[in-house]
Amino acid sequence: MLSLEAISKTRGADGQRYRLEIPALQLRAGRRIALIGASGSGKSTLLDLLALVLSPDPGGVQRWDDGGQCLDLAALWQQGRHDELAALRARAFGYVLQTGGLLGFLSVRGNIQLPRELLGLPVEGVVEQLAEQLGIADLLERLPGRLSVGQRQRVSIARALAHRPAIVLADEPTASLDPLNAERVMQLLVEQAAARDLCLVISTHDRALAERYGLTALQLRVEQQRDGLVTARLTEHG
Amino acid sequence: MRLALFARLAWQDYRCDARLSWCAILALAAVIAPLLVLFGLKFGLVTTLTERLERDPAVREIIPLGGARFNLQSIEALALREDVGFVIPRTRQIAATADLQGPGQMLTVEMLPTADGDPLLDGRPAPADTHAVLLSQSAAEKLGVAAGDVLQAGFGRRVAGQPQVAQASLRVQAVLPVTAFSRDALFAPLSLLEAAEDYRDGLAVPAFGWPGERPAAQRERVYPSFRLYARDLEGVESLRQYFQQSHQAVATQAEAVAQVRALSRNLAWVFWSVACLSLAGAFAALAAGTLGAVARKRHELAVLRLLGFPAVALVAFVVLQALYTGIASLLLSALLYGLAASGLNLLFQSASGEYACRLLFSHYLLAALATLLCCVLAAAAGGWRAAHLEASEGLRHV
Repeated sequence: MLSLEAISKTRGADGQRYRLEIPALQLRAGRRIALIGASGSGKSTLLDLLALVLSPDPGGVQRWDDGGQCLDLAALWQQGRHDELAALRARAFGYVLQTGGLLGFLSVRGNIQLPRELLGLPVEGVVEQLAEQLGIADLLERLPGRLSVGQRQRVSIARALAHRPAIVLADEPTASLDPLNAERVMQLLVEQAAARDLCLVISTHDRALAERYGLTALQLRVEQQRDGLVTARLTEHG
Repeated sequence: MRLALFARLAWQDYRCDARLSWCAILALAAVIAPLLVLFGLKFGLVTTLTERLERDPAVREIIPLGGARFNLQSIEALALREDVGFVIPRTRQIAATADLQGPGQMLTVEMLPTADGDPLLDGRPAPADTHAVLLSQSAAEKLGVAAGDVLQAGFGRRVAGQPQVAQASLRVQAVLPVTAFSRDALFAPLSLLEAAEDYRDGLAVPAFGWPGERPAAQRERVYPSFRLYARDLEGVESLRQYFQQSHQAVATQAEAVAQVRALSRNLAWVFWSVACLSLAGAFAALAAGTLGAVARKRHELAVLRLLGFPAVALVAFVVLQALYTGIASLLLSALLYGLAASGLNLLFQSASGEYACRLLFSHYLLAALATLLCCVLAAAAGGWRAAHLEASEGLRHV
C-alpha cells in the first residue's frame, strides 16, 4: 500500500543536523512492525513521515497504491497539495499518540466517532462495539480530562480504528503506562490489528515487548558523522 | 465541505472554554452596547426634532414678500416642481375678507383659498363646491356655528361712494382645529375668492348672481401672491434658493430646518469618532484573542490536522468561534440597549410617539453585519496561522 524508497528527512541547522534515512520500506496489509530505537533516534519523525504529516526531503519515492487509488505522495508534498494528503490521511490512516492525542472538548464518544464523521460514515453501533472490545464502554460520555492515562490510551486506539483504516501507526503507545496497562494496551492493539488485517506500525524502545507480540522489528541505527551530522538509518533487524 | 461538523466542533470547544468565551463576549458587548445607546440617542433626538418640524406645516410654508404679479401659468409651473407639496394662488389680500352672519353675531374674517392637498386641512377633504367652506375653530366659536350649518356671507363694495353688499349663502363643511389655524378665517375654493375680488372691482359675477359692470374683454387674472408649502423639509431650502435666483423675496423657515440638519451632522461626527475609536480597540482585542487562542489550541488544531481535517476546517474552526463571540455579544448588547433605551425614554418622556432613544430594525441589522464582519476580519489572521500549522509540530510539544 504505502511504499518508500530512498526517502530522507533532514532537520536542524549547520553544526547540529540530524538526518533520517529510509532506504526502503513497504507497508502492506497484515504486516505488524515494531520500530525500535533509542529515545531521540527519530522514531516519531519516521512515524510522522509515514502518517503524511511531515514532508520528506525532495527526491526519493513515496507512493500510495491500494489497488483503487494510486498517488505519488512525494509529488503531492512537492506541490504543496496538503489537503489531498489530509484526505488520504483521513481515509486510510489511524494514529495513536504517546499522550494527549484526544480532543479535550469532546467526550470519549465524540472523539471516537470523529474520524467517521469526517468521512461521512454512519456512526451508529460502531462506537459502542469498539468501546466494548476495548473495555471503555462505560466511559463513553466522559471528557478525556477525567480519564486515567491507560483509559485515554484505549480511547485513542478506538479512535485510530474507528474508520477502519488500512494503516495504524502508534507512537510509543505504552511509554507512559505502568507495566500492567502497557501489556493490556499492546495486546489490544495487536489483537485488533490482526482481526482487521490492517498494517500496524508501533514505535517502541522496548525490544522485549515487541518480540513478545511477534512484531517484525525494524531498527533505527544512529551514527555520528564527522561534520556534526547525525544520521539515523532504518534497517531490518537481523 | 462538512461545515456543520466544523461548526459543531468549534461550538463544543467554545463551550468547553466557557470562561474565556464569556470574557470575549463581555469585552465585545462593552463596546457594542454603548455604541447602540449613543446612536439610538442621536437618532432619537434628531428624529424627534425633525418630526416636530415635519408635523408643523408652517415650517414648510414659503411666503412671497413685497408686491409681485403671478399669472396662473407661473403658479401651475410651480405646482409641477418636485419640491412643491401644495400651491394655490391668492387674490388681493384687501379683497379677501368676508362678513359672516352667524345665529347671534356678525364677524369679519379673512378668506384663504384652499384645495385638495392643502396641508392646513390635515387630510380633510377640500370644499366640495363653490358654496362649501371650512371655518377655523376661533371663527366658528365666535359665530356659534358647527359643521353642517349654513351661514350668510356678505361682500361689501363702494360704487361711486355708495356702499353695496353682495350676499352668498355658504355651507360649513368642517371646522379646522385651533392647532391647524389660530386666527378667524374661512377656507374657500379659489373661485369664491375670485368672485369676491371681481365684485369688489365693480364687476358683475354671474355665477353668484351679483350685479355690476360687464368685464371689458377677456383679461388675464393677476395674482399678487400664493400659498405655497414645500413637499418636505429639504424642499424648503431648495425652494428658497429657487426664489432667490428668480429675484422673488420670500420668507421661509429654512433656518430652523438648517439648525436641525446641523445638529444631526454634528452628532453624527461625535458618534462616528467615538465608534471608530472603540471599534478599532475591539478589533485589536478580537485579533489578539484569536491569535492567542490559536497559540493555546495549537495542539488541538494539530490533532485535527492529523486526523485529516482540511486546512479550511481549521480556518472555519477559528473564524466560527469569533462569529460565536460576535453573535452572543450582539444579543447581549441588544438586551442591554433595550434596558438603557427604555430607561432613557422614561426619563426624557415628552409627547406620545416621541422617543429620546430609538433604533430602527435596519440599524440593528447594520450593527450586526458590521460586528460580524469585524469578527471575521479580526479572526482572519488567526485562521491563516491555524491553516499553516504543520501538524507534526503541534502534536508532541505541548
